[in-house]
Amino acid sequence: MSFEIWLVATAAEELPPLAAAAQSGGATVVVVAVGGRELAQAASAVGAAKVHWIEVGPGLVAEAYGPAVARLAAEAPARVWLSGPSPAARALLGGAAVAAGAALVGGGTAVSLDGQTVLVERNALDGAVIETLAADGPVAVVWDSNEGQPDVSGSASPVLPVAAPAPLAVERRSVEAAAGADGLASAERVVGVGRGVKARADLAMVEDLARALGAEMACSMPIADDLHWYPEERYVGRSGQKIAPLVYLALGISGEPQHMEGVRSAKAVVAVNNNPEAVIFRTATYGVVADLYEFVPALARALEDS
Amino acid sequence: MRAVAVYKWSRATASALVRQDGEVDWGSAKMAAGDDDPAVLTIAKELAGADGSVVGLTIGDGETAWALARGLDTAYAAPQVGPSPDNAATARALAQAVDQIGEVDVVVIADAVAHPGVAAALAAVLGWPVLLGVNSAEAAGGRVNARRRVGNAVETLSLPTPLVLGAVAVGEEAKPPGMMEMIKARKKPVTELAVAPPEAGVAARGTRRPDRQGARLFDGSADEAAASLVAALRGDGLL
Repeated sequence: MSFEIWLVATAAEELPPLAAAAQSGGATVVVVAVGGRELAQAASAVGAAKVHWIEVGPGLVAEAYGPAVARLAAEAPARVWLSGPSPAARALLGGAAVAAGAALVGGGTAVSLDGQTVLVERNALDGAVIETLAADGPVAVVWDSNEGQPDVSGSASPVLPVAAPAPLAVERRSVEAAAGADGLASAERVVGVGRGVKARADLAMVEDLARALGAEMACSMPIADDLHWYPEERYVGRSGQKIAPLVYLALGISGEPQHMEGVRSAKAVVAVNNNPEAVIFRTATYGVVADLYEFVPALARALEDS
Repeated sequence: MRAVAVYKWSRATASALVRQDGEVDWGSAKMAAGDDDPAVLTIAKELAGADGSVVGLTIGDGETAWALARGLDTAYAAPQVGPSPDNAATARALAQAVDQIGEVDVVVIADAVAHPGVAAALAAVLGWPVLLGVNSAEAAGGRVNARRRVGNAVETLSLPTPLVLGAVAVGEEAKPPGMMEMIKARKKPVTELAVAPPEAGVAARGTRRPDRQGARLFDGSADEAAASLVAALRGDGLL
């Protein structure tokens, strides 16, 4: 049985994992691209059958075009809708789901068809389990995976500009760079500290390790917001810095989703925690169950010896 | 402005017990305040200002006093509405409740990681604009100015009312209420709304543990584990 998966995208980097997931399910892929011409061009190169392009007007943001996406969704023969986790993409996906009469779920990692039923696999309980959900009708899924590259061997997809209804007055007034973000944002190695560090004076030990690693320092939200050991711009998480180092060494960090969202693009996450049940061990690449006060000096020695 | 602050509308994932075979047991877990719920109240109060008002709205079986102990005088509850895996179904139930509350300028609700579609679907059902990932907001000339972090930038947007804001906390709650405030809050009246339980468009087929069982752990003494870690990272070309 053939079916269509429609992707809602507001930025080019959202598209490859969505398109790959849709193709792997054997679906015909259609993209709804809400953004500038560069986004439309990127969307035409991910192996989709076609691209519906809604151009965002000057001074507006993608969310202003919620009614336009909803109007498309109401008519679309889509069985599945996918978007990435960005606020703008999710805002549009929610509108599409309601207009299409679709169920809406988060954490998606796989989608397939079982007879007439769509099966969605998703991360649940902070990654502790994979849950399978079955939908007999249309379903919209917020995707939770950065992995996958689509087959782009075909020719560029046709881009169909959408004559959008009047946008909502959702206007961007200003965009400012977050203070002091440069070094951390581009660092290849980052050491993050959480509440497992007992005293401010102990940061010196961790900073020595960071220097040995050639790493920038970062922290979880309580370290910056509650304890003020590091300035706000060193806080990594959903409402803080989002970083993409080769290695993120998390020391005494439990791994709450709010923090881990800030390091989801890291190549490898190394977790050091004295609690073997810490949720960070579910998603980290490498882990050491240890007292960081013993492990940090040991790691510094190991780096020196190697 | 008249603001609705939605709180305690999902269960805390920490309340769930995952069995060895991956089955999830929620036991008697009730609706709980999420990490972003304090930010929801802060933003709603800021938007209401001195001349406006904030009312609380909760669903399910959570304790309604949570918001009343944090400065609200009015709360509504829809106890028939339980947790649902379908964010659109939860949103339809919340929209019914908002409709019954009456004239509202803004609904503020957590932009929750575990339920990333609820705020947007709520706005869609109500037919209002939505902005997600909001860290702070203020009223300005009949509109709302909202700030949020996008990547490594902070953007300020202006939106018309009525609208829905999905809030994300930038810090922990500064001063949670004490026992006396909770006791007083439990004496405040709560209005129960008649809201039909949501009908989910998805059905759970089961849960299992992930194929990848978490991190590769290095055992031994601290020195042994450190040496193994350095070797692994060098092997991966990451050092």
